[in-house]
Amino acid sequence: MVDKIMKVKNGDTIGSVNDLLKDFLKSKKLQALLAMQEVPSKAISFPVLVSNPDKLISNVFAPILPVSTATIISKITKVEGANKPIGVIMRSCQIRALIELVKLNQANMENIVIIGVDCLGTFPINTYSNFPEKTTPTEFIFDSFKKKSDVVKYLRSSCYTCKDPVPNNADIVIGFYGMDPKKELIIQINSEKGKKLLEGIQLDESKEKVTREKAIKEIQEEKTKNRREFIKAKSNIKGIEALVGFFDKCVNCHNCMKACPICYCKECLFESSVFNFEANKYIGKAEKKGLFKMPNDSLLFHTTRMNHMVVSCVGCGLCEQACPSDIPLMEIIIPISENVQKEFNYIPGSDKEEKIPMVIYKEDEYQDVGEK
Amino acid sequence: MEEFEPKIVGFLCNWCSYAGADLAGTSRIQYPPNIRIIKVMCSGSVDSVYIMRAFLEGADGVFIGGCHPGDCHYQDGNYKARRKAVLLKSILETLGLEKDRIWIRWVSASEGQKFADTMKEMTDEIKKLGPNPIVKHWNI
Repeated sequence: MVDKIMKVKNGDTIGSVNDLLKDFLKSKKLQALLAMQEVPSKAISFPVLVSNPDKLISNVFAPILPVSTATIISKITKVEGANKPIGVIMRSCQIRALIELVKLNQANMENIVIIGVDCLGTFPINTYSNFPEKTTPTEFIFDSFKKKSDVVKYLRSSCYTCKDPVPNNADIVIGFYGMDPKKELIIQINSEKGKKLLEGIQLDESKEKVTREKAIKEIQEEKTKNRREFIKAKSNIKGIEALVGFFDKCVNCHNCMKACPICYCKECLFESSVFNFEANKYIGKAEKKGLFKMPNDSLLFHTTRMNHMVVSCVGCGLCEQACPSDIPLMEIIIPISENVQKEFNYIPGSDKEEKIPMVIYKEDEYQDVGEK
Repeated sequence: MEEFEPKIVGFLCNWCSYAGADLAGTSRIQYPPNIRIIKVMCSGSVDSVYIMRAFLEGADGVFIGGCHPGDCHYQDGNYKARRKAVLLKSILETLGLEKDRIWIRWVSASEGQKFADTMKEMTDEIKKLGPNPIVKHWNI
């Protein structure tokens, strides 16, 4: 790991990063780049795959995550891996999701260069597009970093409780933790791919490694505390009464499943014809209880989805963001994933070589579950 | 009032537990008739969706029967079934649902008596838990 410093020109953090990214494209070290770019209406920033450096006006720190960039990389590389280098700007949760997708054989990392960015959290889409403050969302989030604005009231709950906002496992990191982003940024080189990417680019040597590490530790401690308190505060969603009430607003649109980077099945069981029964079965079911809600199976869908993805849940909160009924899904997903991942001693997205707990086993484990 | 007779849905693997249940029958060993048996090829093939379907439709207990560890016809299906059960039970516990209604046990093809004993044990335990409260909810 090598740390370098990039001087920010004229206090324009976004522009300086943009220039660096343009260099990657101009020098053909990257054939294409997946980066966040504002749409012409300025309502939202979206990931764009850009090959022409002149068209790139990215804002890598835009505090929004409209779609999963991990899913996009999976889509690009699933049929055939890239044979030319593609760079992708990713926040920590999306890097974790991509690693999980690689483990699930849903993405190919060949020629994919991950450019990780330090993350201060993201806002819900509507908060971002109709931002209630006088500044832009990006300025606002940088101000919060300098403790000049209170960002907590807008953050998505997943970001508020994110245990690890540091982009580990990236090939290079563009970061600002522990420094003044108006003056300089840290460029961290973590791999051979990253080293190749930064060849020939003028950067200063970094001296203050300690300040970054200290800042990261502080952020992680604060977020871990938030997470602990969040779980404690939401521990009242327990028991069938509370659970049924929690999902009462569910309209079975399955958006949470479609937005989730981990839910990768091309055809979900719940969208197949498996649960299409003959009319008589429905009548029988109605007669059994007297009545039942249609469309049915919302709780079955959610509990099954939890069983399928929670081991690999990276906590990005896209499921909650996708919900048209505003069901605060993370209130349930965070405690569950915390407990399950602790049970299997597994941190999703932390190690590419580590296998997903559901495909491995030890002969002498959990003996009390099978035989009491 | 009639005594509560639990409804138990059982997923028995083709190679061990189902044969064990068969042996209990052909050996005329008596056991409570509360279980409704569904034969599956392997305990490892029982996805959580089938367990949750039974559970949410009001089954008072769900039983998964597999080969003894190390004896799986497909090498390691029962080990994976065990991990899936750990996962499911952890989720149910966090959600405050009754994880003790889900049982996973190993019964070999020669253990007719063990199958009958396990059924007695499970039926008794589920009777203690009482009927599955999910049944009365129509809006799940």
